Amino acid sequence: MIYLDYAATTPLDPRVLQAMLPFLTADGSFANPASTHGPGYKARAAVEKARAQVAALLGAEPAEIVWTSGATESNNLAIKGALEFHGGGARKAHIVTSRTEHKCVLDTCRHLETQGVRVSFLKPGADGIVSPEQVLEALTPETVLVSLMWVNNEIGVVQDVQKLAPLLRERGVLFHVDAVQAAGKLPIDLRATPIDLLSVSAHKIYGPKGAGALYVRKKPRARLAPQMHGGGHEWGMRSGTLATHQIVGMGAAFEIAAAQLQSDAEQLGGLRDLLWQRLQALPRILRNGDAERTAPHVLNLSFEGVEGEALRASLPDLAVSSGSACSSATQEPSYVLRALGRDDELANASLRFSLGRGTTAEQIERAAESVIKQVQWLRELSPLWKP
Amino acid sequence: MEAVNSTEANPFGYAEPIWERFTHPRHVGEFAAGTPGVVSGEAGSKAARSVLRLQLRFEAGRVADVRFRAYGCPSSIAVGAWIVEWSLGKTAAELAALRAADLRKALEIADDRAHCALLGEDALQAALASYAAKS
Repeated sequence: MIYLDYAATTPLDPRVLQAMLPFLTADGSFANPASTHGPGYKARAAVEKARAQVAALLGAEPAEIVWTSGATESNNLAIKGALEFHGGGARKAHIVTSRTEHKCVLDTCRHLETQGVRVSFLKPGADGIVSPEQVLEALTPETVLVSLMWVNNEIGVVQDVQKLAPLLRERGVLFHVDAVQAAGKLPIDLRATPIDLLSVSAHKIYGPKGAGALYVRKKPRARLAPQMHGGGHEWGMRSGTLATHQIVGMGAAFEIAAAQLQSDAEQLGGLRDLLWQRLQALPRILRNGDAERTAPHVLNLSFEGVEGEALRASLPDLAVSSGSACSSATQEPSYVLRALGRDDELANASLRFSLGRGTTAEQIERAAESVIKQVQWLRELSPLWKP
Repeated sequence: MEAVNSTEANPFGYAEPIWERFTHPRHVGEFAAGTPGVVSGEAGSKAARSVLRLQLRFEAGRVADVRFRAYGCPSSIAVGAWIVEWSLGKTAAELAALRAADLRKALEIADDRAHCALLGEDALQAALASYAAKS
């Protein structure tokens, strides 16, 4: 089995696992980090160390990191929290986002629409890029928030959030960025980039599933209404007992990601380019998303003349996605590729290869060989294929 | 012609009869133009992402050889492979009795893929109509 679905999730780094283990059992720091006794303070110290580790990868202050259960919660908290805080009263609050956001952003925005919020879902160009100008044109005096992802999870395209952030700051509009696929892949420096809210996840960069964070800027302070009420944890922004071991794991994963940022990016980019080079032996394949403005770990391709489900089924030794793992169960053609203007057939006959630290050149060669062989076979099988 | 070559046994949970024919289809292709006794039948559409083309070569009133091509999901490919294999040695009257329900039973086709069985029935009926027109 060749695993090329690292954008869906990654295995836990063994160093991360070792960091997590002392926080689970009676002989370790299992205590509630909110407890005011020795073991509680010890657990709290581990949580705070992890907060600093996560902040360091993002160029943020530790006090700007709010723990969540993952990026879905972070995105929900950012968008609903900002709208609830700023969008009340007589104002008809407005959000600007794009059609290629992750489902958890799109569905949160759609939910808010049912509550009376107006949402502009911007259509990216055929290259997957939403231009800063497009965003600025969509702003209205009622716009509370712009939510745009840094790196698209399906096609790897990098949005120009660094250019957009100061433009939104000048206009007094909050800027939320889903940076799940950017963290650990691209340099992020929130001291230099005036993003207000930024979501990250642990399990996309070799940390545990079930752990995430929302960066909430302190200066100027981004204000949110909490979406989880309870004991007032996390400065009242997210109540619930902190999952010390998960948080420690996330911190360790982010520290490793910071140390390996450049070498990881070079490894992934090199292997991604090798895969693309090899697969171009096949005629009539299309690369989805801009080939230059892209994160190093994703390659999304459409294959003319084959049916998507048969293509994926014909590659049982390859763990790859069609679209994102979160929506591929429905087997609908990718909404991201359709937003780029691909027809249903090409959107359906697509594969997302996403590479990770475990990927080797030998795996890429073997994967390319099977994809070429199976695409050729399905084309040969088809009554419609005309070489 | 070699199809799917996997060390993993059906990791997607397809019904075994579907997986077996999807991974090891026989009689893929078509007869050379002008081969005597050949009738063709096609069903489906590109827009619906499934097209099945069957070819039956009759000899003395019975199917002597078969070919098929399919574009579509594994179930629709398996339907094509199953029909041509089943057709061998049968008369047109015997073939005419095949219904989508029979295909669903033979290949354990799930409800959400019932259209793949209909695709098979339609393609076979089209081939038989062509046979009737020629006879």
